[in-house]
Amino acid sequence: MSTPARTVLAFPCAANSGRRRTLRTDLLEALRVSSSPVIVDVSGCYSLNQEDIDLLLDCVAQAAGRDTKVLFVAGAPANRVLLEVTRISSVAPVFNSVTEALAYPQMPAENDGAGSDADSKDQPVSESQKRWSA
Amino acid sequence: MELGSVVVVPAREGFMGIHEAQPYAAAALENRRPFYSTYSTRMPVLGNDILQSWIERVRKLGVQSLWLTSDASSGSVAGSALSELARQGLKRLLVIKLKSYAEMDLTDLVRFHCERRNPVTEARDSRGQLGVSLLDHRALRAAAEKQSSSISMTTDTGRIPYRFSGYAKRILSATERQELVRDGLTGACAMRPAGTQIRDQVWVGEGVNLADSVRLVGPTYIGARTIIRAGATIGPFASVESDCVVDCGTAVERSTVLPHTYLAPGLLIRHGLVDGDHLEDLAWGTVADLKPAGLGSRIQRRDLRSATRKPTFKPTARETAPDAFPGADGSVVWDFSASSTASQPWLQVRL
Repeated sequence: MSTPARTVLAFPCAANSGRRRTLRTDLLEALRVSSSPVIVDVSGCYSLNQEDIDLLLDCVAQAAGRDTKVLFVAGAPANRVLLEVTRISSVAPVFNSVTEALAYPQMPAENDGAGSDADSKDQPVSESQKRWSA
Repeated sequence: MELGSVVVVPAREGFMGIHEAQPYAAAALENRRPFYSTYSTRMPVLGNDILQSWIERVRKLGVQSLWLTSDASSGSVAGSALSELARQGLKRLLVIKLKSYAEMDLTDLVRFHCERRNPVTEARDSRGQLGVSLLDHRALRAAAEKQSSSISMTTDTGRIPYRFSGYAKRILSATERQELVRDGLTGACAMRPAGTQIRDQVWVGEGVNLADSVRLVGPTYIGARTIIRAGATIGPFASVESDCVVDCGTAVERSTVLPHTYLAPGLLIRHGLVDGDHLEDLAWGTVADLKPAGLGSRIQRRDLRSATRKPTFKPTARETAPDAFPGADGSVVWDFSASSTASQPWLQVRL
């Protein structure tokens, strides 16, 4: 069985409005031409500001109602916390690394929006979670 | 004087308030190290002041006054301070390091200490030291002879443990603090939420403003003057302390929101400790900065010094005595900034 091609988009950290528009255009293009998940990689961002969160929510909104799924790679644990706080992880799978995201859906996300988000923190800690723990 | 007592509050930042971001800004940079421990012990728990709970226990001993001091490192008392107390003819000194909440009968501790006639008696539970020690005049003299030493260094010998089997909880981490919140809400300890119980397992403080559509899931506590806006859900096992604002649709579960915190609309705070613009996630063991994303912020405190309420205790000026002034919630805020030049500021509190 061949693995469908995935599109990985690097999230524009601390970007200007032009770069944000570019990402949005690229994302829409990727969503339009591919039925395989689009991976938005936030791991390069040291922190997320208000515009970043808005753009991530926009990504989720753009994917909503389409056959294509958006996956997020959080990178820093603080980013993951922000994705949880903003409930983005409730509606889109979040991974620790691009490698994990590429393995999706063979490898379920730790906090898969398709799954039960409510009790995710009560579940056993995965290997990747351990790596991030203090 | 038969018995004196000292309460040591660790870390000067604990008094100085949470506006000074340095202690946890570094933690935020690392994104890993929890920041709570740098100033935890002075934060209210279900509206209760842990320091005050210890002071009440000391008061029951019949002690006329106690000394409050802060320590930025080990929570110990400087040898010079001990020597001064020894010169005053103190026969015994009770030292409480403010690192735990323990429902301890100090009278029993004193009785145990007197019966055993050992230089130092140290309260312990199954997990170790509770930060409560009793020294006799020999230990005090030994400390006086070692001017630069501290209790923790001078009293290693002759240390007799007082086994405490009652309720005790360390409060030096956000996780332990949340456990204390849980126990207070469920009645597993004697600490009760400081407010009115409006229905089963739901307590609110004075002046709380709840929108009609707010959902309160017990057990939960909302501190004085906190505003909970429409569609928000608080609980279960949540404590939103005083003077907070939780905006529309935000859910706070199994978490604590420390005083003077604003939370933006539509958030999900779960297994966390929020202090102003920082969130310590207990599940991930990491700290996230909420401010850049506009998710949370610190609500500027009113000018506490101009508040009209009088403090519960009357501090006595002594050398570099710091200022004490009433907090917005009526509790006493001990500000040691006035004595910042002193190596270890002291404050005498009449009981």
